[in-house]
Amino acid sequence: MAPTTAAVLEALKQVYDPEIPVDVVNLGLVYDVTIEDGVVRIKMTTTSPGCPVGDYLAQEVERILGKLDGVEQVRVEFVWDPPWSPELMSAHGRKSLGWG
Amino acid sequence: MAFAHRRMPFMVLGALSLLAALWAGLIRLGWALPPFAATEPPNHGPLMVSGFLGTVIGLERAVALRRRWAYGAPLLAGLGGLAWVIGLSVHVGHALTAAGSAFLIAIFVTLYRQHPTVYLAAMGLGAVSWLGGTLVWHGGAPLHRVVPWWIGFLVLTIAGERLELSRLMRLGAWSRAGFLAAGGVFVLGLLADLSAPELGVRLGGIGLLALAVWLLRNDIAWRTLRQSGLPRYMALSMLSGYVWLGVGGLLWLGFAGRFIAGPFYDAMLHSIFLGFVFSMIFGHAPIILPSVLGVALPFRRAFYAHWALLHLSVLARVGGDLGLPMLAPAWSGLANVLAIVLFLVNSARAVRLGPEA
Repeated sequence: MAPTTAAVLEALKQVYDPEIPVDVVNLGLVYDVTIEDGVVRIKMTTTSPGCPVGDYLAQEVERILGKLDGVEQVRVEFVWDPPWSPELMSAHGRKSLGWG
Repeated sequence: MAFAHRRMPFMVLGALSLLAALWAGLIRLGWALPPFAATEPPNHGPLMVSGFLGTVIGLERAVALRRRWAYGAPLLAGLGGLAWVIGLSVHVGHALTAAGSAFLIAIFVTLYRQHPTVYLAAMGLGAVSWLGGTLVWHGGAPLHRVVPWWIGFLVLTIAGERLELSRLMRLGAWSRAGFLAAGGVFVLGLLADLSAPELGVRLGGIGLLALAVWLLRNDIAWRTLRQSGLPRYMALSMLSGYVWLGVGGLLWLGFAGRFIAGPFYDAMLHSIFLGFVFSMIFGHAPIILPSVLGVALPFRRAFYAHWALLHLSVLARVGGDLGLPMLAPAWSGLANVLAIVLFLVNSARAVRLGPEA
């Protein structure tokens, strides 16, 4: 059985840019998740359009989601509209960075 | 990412320049190695900065932009290095390098138009500085007049990147102004260097020192230093690199009149090129290599060996240059080369063995 969107987002909390102590979900990098016939499509961004770690994050997303039951394929698409800004972080993410 | 393996030829071109630059460096330090076309001493620096770093930086930015034309930056920079390695007319290398840097400028212009920010402007200025240095060199200036521009290329590129990440640190208006002031003084130094070299180097030194202090105060690495594994290793690489950037700034400020040749000049260059820039390369390789080549480079504790050897050997080299009782230059330079070779060996080993249990 294909995973739920909530399960995918929970799994994505294991994906980090090693330079940022907040996971990609709480950082606000994941814009959309769709699941259809075992194919998980992730629409996400990077903190900057010039950021060269996008493919590293995509590999991590594929590696983590590939472990979930019912996932046959993972497709990651990067978008920069809307551009990421620190305001997209969750309350948990802000707290982790000491934003109070 | 499915086509990441197609980027391997760019990396091979960059690696060729790196190895030739190391070879040329050892010959310059007095090691009796058989010379080849590129090993005439003047090509050590250009091969390292344009042939290797220009290719690698161009490649990572082309990957980030995701447009085919952007690969002109690493291709032309890599071919420029190759032209020097095989001994073509030096002008061929100049032209290819200048074209490669023009592509890198175009990449940053494209990114800036999408997302007009100070950090992208800083990185774009870095690419302009690379082109500026190449043009100054082509105009007949000696390499010691070119070097500040090439250091500008690397320092502004790296500082811009760190400024981008520091958005997560919720900087105040004064901190942001501090970055602009530090970077501004450094760029003023580059411009002053065109007509008054000693003043230019001194101003540049103030800018480098101020940038180092800014990075040490504001970098996100302080947050990840408390973690373990790769995040801590990367953080330590960043922070130790900033210390060398500050040392370089102090040396520029104190010995600006000797920015021509000799041991003080060697210390002023290698504190930055080796202590700062290579520390950044060592730290970033585990995330950049997977992005660029699609190859996992899992962290291994052995990475601390090349990190430690790099910093100890730079300490030996710079200390020796300044007259402290250290290793002879030939030996400290050899240790610098061994640190880079160990980095390459440890990286290849990590790719082959995978993550530690």
